[in-house]
Amino acid sequence: MTEGSTRPLFALQGLTKRYSGVVAVDDLSFSIPEGAIVGLIGPNGSGKSTTIDCISGFQVPDGGRWFLGDAELTGRKPHEHATRGIARTFQTVRAFDEMSLTDNLLTAAQAHDGLGWSAALQGGRGLRDAEAKATVRAEELLDTIGLTEHAQAPAGTLSYGQRKLLAIAAAMMARPKLVVLDEPVAGVNPTMIRRIEAVIRRLNEAGMALLIVEHNVEFIMALCATVIVMAQGRKVAEGSPRRIREDPQVLAAYLGADTEAHDDE
Amino acid sequence: MSARAGHILAGAGALAVLATLPLWGGTPYGLELGITAATFTVLSTGLNLVYGYTGLLSFAQVAFFGIGGYTSALLSHDAGWPVFAGALVGGVLALLLGLVIGYTSLRLSRHAFAIVSLSFALLCLIISRDWVSLTRGPMGVPGLIAPTLQLPGLGRIGFDRPAVFYWLMLSYAVLVVAATHRLVRSRIGRAFIAIKLNQPLAESQGIDPLRHRLLAIGVSALTSGIAGGFYVFHLTIVDPSIFDFYYTETMLIMVIVGGPGSFWGVVVASLAFTAIPDMLRFSHDLRMVLYGAILIGAMLAFPRGVGGWAAQRRLVRLRRPILA
Repeated sequence: MTEGSTRPLFALQGLTKRYSGVVAVDDLSFSIPEGAIVGLIGPNGSGKSTTIDCISGFQVPDGGRWFLGDAELTGRKPHEHATRGIARTFQTVRAFDEMSLTDNLLTAAQAHDGLGWSAALQGGRGLRDAEAKATVRAEELLDTIGLTEHAQAPAGTLSYGQRKLLAIAAAMMARPKLVVLDEPVAGVNPTMIRRIEAVIRRLNEAGMALLIVEHNVEFIMALCATVIVMAQGRKVAEGSPRRIREDPQVLAAYLGADTEAHDDE
Repeated sequence: MSARAGHILAGAGALAVLATLPLWGGTPYGLELGITAATFTVLSTGLNLVYGYTGLLSFAQVAFFGIGGYTSALLSHDAGWPVFAGALVGGVLALLLGLVIGYTSLRLSRHAFAIVSLSFALLCLIISRDWVSLTRGPMGVPGLIAPTLQLPGLGRIGFDRPAVFYWLMLSYAVLVVAATHRLVRSRIGRAFIAIKLNQPLAESQGIDPLRHRLLAIGVSALTSGIAGGFYVFHLTIVDPSIFDFYYTETMLIMVIVGGPGSFWGVVVASLAFTAIPDMLRFSHDLRMVLYGAILIGAMLAFPRGVGGWAAQRRLVRLRRPILA
C-alpha cells in the first residue's frame, strides 16, 4: 500500500479507440490514487464502456497505454489484467448461473493463489489451505452482501439486484488492487441501491480502489471523492462532486444529450 | 457420507459385473459388445470433457481415434513396434494435432473450433483414402494381430483371445474414466465449467480460457488416440472407415442423452447406447425405426440428458425441506 508514494495506483495515458471511423474514445488520460473511489460519468455514447473494456483487456484500443503501479498492462489479455490486480463487473450482470454462490466465489479466487495444474490435481496441503482460505473469504463476502442463507443455491435463482451484489463480491474475492464496476446500480430498486452503496464503502475501507461507471449521478456523487465526466469520447471535467455539479461544460454535455435514454448497448 | 458410500458400492458392483463378463456372457458376441462399450466409453468421456465441460463442440474426436489407430497399426505392422508403444505414440500424435487445431482456431472463437474440427476429421478421412503410399488407401492395413505378452510369473497373455482383449479395453476404460473424473472434479474442472457457463466472467476472474480448453482437447485426444491404437487390433484391420461419421454420431448421442457435463450420465449412456441397438436386433426391419423412437423418447423425457434430469431431482429433494 505504501510503495511508490508519488505514483498513482492506476494511470491511463492517451487512450484512443475508433470503430470504423467513429472515434469512441479520444486521447483519454486519467489516474486513480491508492484507495480512492473514482466515478466515471457521461451521456450515452460518451465512451465510458469502451474505456473500461479497454483497460480490462476486453477490447484492443488504437492507442494509449495503461499501468497498474509499475506494471504496464497495455495489450494484455483479460485474464492477465485480472491476475495482475484489476477486477471488473459487467453492465449485463454476469454469474455462473448453474453454480452455487459459494462456488461462484471460489471460482473467482482460484486463478490468484499461484497454484498450478499439478497442485490442483495432486490435492496436497497447499491446495487445501488455499481453498480453505478462499472458503472463509467467500463466507465473509456472502455475509457482507447479506446472501449467506443462499450460499448453496444456484446463482440463477437470485433476483437481479442480488446477482449484482454477487458480481461485486466475486470481483472482490481475490483482493484486487483496483475494481472496475460497470453500472452497479442500473435497474436496481432504491433499497438495494443503498445496500450496494454500503457494500462498496465497506470494501473500499478494506483498501481497494474503485472505478465506478454509472448513470445514477446521485449514487456517484455520494460515493466518489473524484468524478470524471466524459462526452463524445473526451474528458470534459474532473474534480470533486461539488465542482462537477457546477461545471458549465458538464451541464452542457448533459443538456446537449438525451438525458432520459437508458444505456443498453 | 452414506450417499457417498452408496455410490462407491454401486460403482464397485458395476465394475464387478463388467469385469466378470467373460464368465457370464463370454460368447464371442457378448465380448464384442463389451469391447465396443469400453471403447465408446473412452470416446464419449473424451467428447464430454471437451463439449460437456468446456463447451466446445468437437467433431475431431473420431479423427483422434483414427489417427491413433493408423499410427499404431503402421508402426506395428511396418516397423515392428510393440502394440502398446505404437498406441501410445498414436495417442501423443493425436494430442499434438489436437493442440494445433485447438490453438489455431480458438484464437478466433469456439464456433471456429467446431468448423475446424469438422474439417480436420474430413481431412483425415481423405488422407487415409488418398495418401496411398502412407496409408495403403481404401484397402487399409489388414492382418493386424493382437500381441501376445510374455510376462514373468503369469505366463503368456494372448490379447488375440477376445476375453483377454476385453479385459485390456475394460482396464483402459476404467483408467481413463478415473483420470478424467479426477480432472473434472478438481478445480480445473470448475474452471472448465466456468468457461462454458460464462467465458467473459471467467476471463475477468483470471481464468485463461485458451489454456484450459487446450488441456481438455489434449487430454481427450490422447485418450481417444490410444483407444484407437488398441481398437484396430481388435478389428484386425485399419482402413478409412475408422474415420466414419458413425463414430461421431454415436459419441454425440451418448453425450447428449447422457447429459453434457454430467460425468456419470455419459458413462451410463455409453453402456446403454452400445447395448440398445443390439437389443433391437429382434426386428431386422424396424431396428433403426425403434432406435430412432427411443432416441426421440429420451430427448423428450430428458431434455438436458439423464445427468441433467438426475441433477434436477437432486435439487427438488434439497428444496423439499424448505417448502415443507
